[in-house]
Order: sequence, then structure tokens, then C-alpha cells
Amino acid sequence: MILPALLLIPFLYIILAILIKSKKVKTWLSFAFSLINLGFAIWVMAQVFEVGMIKTQMGSWPAPFGITLVADRFSAFMLLVSALVFAVVTLYSIQSVDTARIKNGYFLFAHGILMGVNGSFLAGDLFNLYVWFEVMLMGSFILISFGGERAQLEGAIKYLILNLISSFFFVAGIGILYGKMGTLNMADLSQKIAQSGDVLSQLSPAMVLIVVGFAIKGALFPFFFWLPASYHTPPPAVTALFAGLLTKVGIYSLIRIYTLFLYHSTSFWNPVVLWIGILSMVIGVFSASSQYDFRKILSFHIISQLGYVVIGLAFYTVAGLAAAIFFLGHNMISKTNAFLVAGWVHRERQTLNLKVLGDMFKKNTLWGVLFFISAFSLAGLPPLSGFIGKYLVIKAGIESGHVSVALVALFVGFFTLFSMVKIWIEVFWKNTPPEVEAPVNTKPLPHGLMISASVILALAIVGMGVFAGPVVNYCEMAASDLLNTELYINFVLK
Amino acid sequence: MRNIILEKIVKLFLNVMLIFSVYLLFRGHNNPGGGFIAGIIAATGFIFYAIIFGTGSVKKMIGLSSRKWMGLGLLVVLVTAILPVFFSKEVLTSLWVPGDFPLLGALHIGTPLLFDSGVFLVVSGMILTIVISIMEVLEWN
Repeated sequence: MILPALLLIPFLYIILAILIKSKKVKTWLSFAFSLINLGFAIWVMAQVFEVGMIKTQMGSWPAPFGITLVADRFSAFMLLVSALVFAVVTLYSIQSVDTARIKNGYFLFAHGILMGVNGSFLAGDLFNLYVWFEVMLMGSFILISFGGERAQLEGAIKYLILNLISSFFFVAGIGILYGKMGTLNMADLSQKIAQSGDVLSQLSPAMVLIVVGFAIKGALFPFFFWLPASYHTPPPAVTALFAGLLTKVGIYSLIRIYTLFLYHSTSFWNPVVLWIGILSMVIGVFSASSQYDFRKILSFHIISQLGYVVIGLAFYTVAGLAAAIFFLGHNMISKTNAFLVAGWVHRERQTLNLKVLGDMFKKNTLWGVLFFISAFSLAGLPPLSGFIGKYLVIKAGIESGHVSVALVALFVGFFTLFSMVKIWIEVFWKNTPPEVEAPVNTKPLPHGLMISASVILALAIVGMGVFAGPVVNYCEMAASDLLNTELYINFVLK
Repeated sequence: MRNIILEKIVKLFLNVMLIFSVYLLFRGHNNPGGGFIAGIIAATGFIFYAIIFGTGSVKKMIGLSSRKWMGLGLLVVLVTAILPVFFSKEVLTSLWVPGDFPLLGALHIGTPLLFDSGVFLVVSGMILTIVISIMEVLEWN
């Protein structure tokens, strides 16, 4: 009964936002609903922690025929982290997003994204996964083009076209798969594929199309180019929301598909996914180090960090998957927080070009500390969450015999550190270049809500690093559930 | 310039379209029809009316703004979705009112009809919102 609530709460907010006129009521209702969503996500987590998996058959239709919502440990973890990120970004947006956007339904579409994200994490069949992807994309299309600034529309068109292409690949793959197997329920499909044998030759086109679709959504090499081209154009709060939620849904789906269908032909898929991961990591981090825009650097780092998750998946051991899940959670929190700091800098100085920025540490020490925490968590310094994430990935790589991959991951970590130190020096440390005229507004703008939002996430980063033990244990449990495909199939179908 | 013949025809056309859309709405679920197509047909009637009499008169006729109409439709859909929970069934399960009615005979009344009515409101509200905003921006008629 509680799984549909995660879809109906954002839906109820969308209805209220259409019917209610007052801007103030809408704004605070949005925050209240994001907290309710967080509460339900915690509840799902608590339930799943006890029983392992929960499911709902919508409309009382039994599993292979109706719409099934399933939450296992992995989905519950993702639901909780995304609910936290969403609540924090909502709090941040109240102050950060301009009045015109809020008046025209900023929060309405943000809740549309939340609904799509929650739906994707819960979907028990491929077609519903596609539908929730579309729900999420509709919201994100509107948010990215909302406001209609010139640069923004340019980014929006790239984003829109490439994501539509990825949806097309995904739905084409689904079509081929349905034609072959006659079912789309993931558990049923997995069972039928296991029974039919000789999977690779039979299902290859469908699986390749679906994986390419997810790789575009998840911004993996060689399909990442839309992300840095579009993520620096919308308002910073929107970028933070996208960075925290959207690409991760693509990676989540990839992991789900991999553990249910692709694991039959690991001899083909493991090297492919491993190379995709390595190249995403290396190319993302190199491209980032050549950039001179705060948000562009962070955008390229999204690609590089998702590479870590994907190599964790490609090791295909319990430790590797656990590392991937932990890293995904860590990255959602840290990356969002880094973008939140970028939003504050943008608000103060109206620019994010590293060459003309400076002195921000003097302006507000707390924001500097918040950036330090999130950036050095991304770079992997102890005791922050990124250190544990990287440690787990590298350890899993060495244990599974991929020593060279582990070394590459370590090497990429140094470059991440380089980029983060570059931002730190250019934005927070150095003096503002003398040829740049002093910023116009000397009086600091109100940023109380923004800073509290960022502090919450920073505490989460530190908490995930210091109390990593229980989280890692949970991730290991989630990973062994994922590897035990029979468990999922039996739970859904019986 | 007023064109009386056109005005009369459009008024008649609107009535025909609305009646036809209600017919399709009730026909749905078991036969071709349903909320979506009914909503489109109702909206088409209003659009023809707006082309002749202007968007203002359509707005006056439908009372609420078409945006609110959309919201109400979604609310109806949401209510249908969670109604079964109060009868301890899964979300979105169809509920049927049992039995025969005096004068009317055996009827199948249940939540699918309510759901379709919600869809009807959403679709017609959506199309009207889009078309009316475009007509107002372009200063049509």
C-alpha cells in the first residue's frame, strides 16, 4: 500500500499547484510535500530493511499481466537518497529561483520530475520504466527551457533532441523484446530468457538498443556530449536537481537490466561495460580539467563519476555492485551540493567564469567550507563519503582481478582532485583580478534557506563517510539481492 | 461583419459535439470511445465556437478557467485511484456499484466511468488551454 503513495504524493501536489493561485502557499506546500515524500521513502526503507522486498499489484491484476511496483533494497536506497536530494533542492529553490519562474509553475514541474524518478525506481516492467522516463523527461524539458534565455534555449534543444533519441532507442528495444518474448514484466522476462537459452544471439539487437538508450540517459561514453552542452544553462537550482536525479536513473536502469537480463552473457557484456566505464572516467576527467566554467567542470565530473559506478557494475561481484550502489548514493549527494554552492556564487557574482571570480572565501566562510566538503568528497578525501566510495570500487577491482582498472580509477581520482583544487583556488582563494570591476551589490543577498539546504547535504556527506559501516553493510545486502536473480523473480511472480 | 448563418450553425455544431462526446464517454470501457476521445471532441466544439465568437465568450461559457478544469480532472483521477484503498483493495482497482435500479434497469456503474470523466476533463481542459492561449497571442478574431 505504501509504494503507490510515492507516486500519488507528487501527483497530488501537481493538482494543488494547478488549483491554488497564491504563490506563497504553493511554495511552502511544495516543501511540505517534498518532506512527506521523504517520510514515505524512509518508511519504505524501514519496511524493506526488515522483509527484503515489497511489491504492489496495481488494480489487483496479478504479476505478469498487470502493472507491478517492486521495491527491493537497491530501489529503496535510491528512493531515499533521491527524496533527500529533492527535499533539499526544494528548500534551496525557495530562495534561489526567481519569482517569475516560481509563479509559472517551477515547483509543479519539479514535482513532475520527482514523480517520474520515483516511478522509475519502482517500475516492475520495462514499458512502465519507459513511461516513467518520459514523465521525468517532460518535467525536465520544461524546467531546462523555462524562462527562455538565449543560452538556455540553445542548451535545451540539445538536451531535448538527444533525450528523445535515447527514448526512441529504448522503446524500439522494448518493441523487439516484446515481439520475441511476449512479455514485458522484468521478472517474467528474466525467467523466460533464462529458460530459452542461447540468449546473446537471440536478443542482441533489443538489448543493444536498450543499453544504448540507458547510456545516453546516463551520459556514459560515447554518448555523454549532451550533458556538458546543456547543464550549465538553466538556473543553478535546476542544474542541481538534474545532476542529483536524472542521469542516476539511467544508471539505475542499467544496473537493473544488467542483473536481470544481461548477466547470462557476461563474457560479451562485462568487457563492453568495463570499457564504457573506464573511458567515461578518463575522458570526463580530462575534459573537465580543460574547462574554465564552474558548472561545466562539475558537469564533466558527473560523467567521470558515473564511470566509477559502471566499472563497479562491470566487476560483477557482490563487492563491486555494493561499491557501485554506495558510489551512486554518494555521488547524488555530493554532486548536488557542489552545484548548490555554484548557485550561490552565481547569485552573488552573476557569473561562473573562473577567470573573473575570486575572494569568495572572504565573502562567506561557511559557503567556502561547504564547497570544500562537497568538492573534496568528490575527489575522495577521508573521512568524507567519496573516500569510502572510491576505496570500495578500487578494492572490489583488485579482488576481482582487475588491478589495472583499479589503478586507472586511482589515477582519475588525482585528476578529480586537481579540478577541485582549481575551482577552490580560482573561486574561493585568489583575489578578484584587478581588471574586473568590483561587484555591484556589496550588500549580501538573503541566503538563509539556501545555506541551510547546503548544510543538510554537507552533513549527509560527512555522515555517510563517518558512519559508513552500516551503509556499506546495507549496500552489500542490496548487491547480493541483485545478484540473486531467482529471489527477485520468485518474489514478483508468486 | 456578422454572419448569422455561420453563427447559428456553430451554435448547433457545439451542441451536437457536446452530446456526441457524452455519448462516447458513456460508451467507453467496453466499446470504442472513452474519456480521451470524448474530451477531444468536446474541445473541438468549443474551438469552433471560439473561432466565430472569440475566446472571451468561450471562457465565459465554461465558467472556470480551462486550467482549473484540467486540475479538477486530475483530482477526479486521483480520487478514483485511491478510492479502492478505503475498501481494502489495491490502488486503481475497479469498483462496481451492484444491482438493478428502479426505472433504469441493470446498469454497470463503477470507478472506470469516474476515471474516464476525469480524463475527459483533463483532455478537454488541456486542448482548450493550449488553443485559447495561441489564439490570444496571435490576436485571432
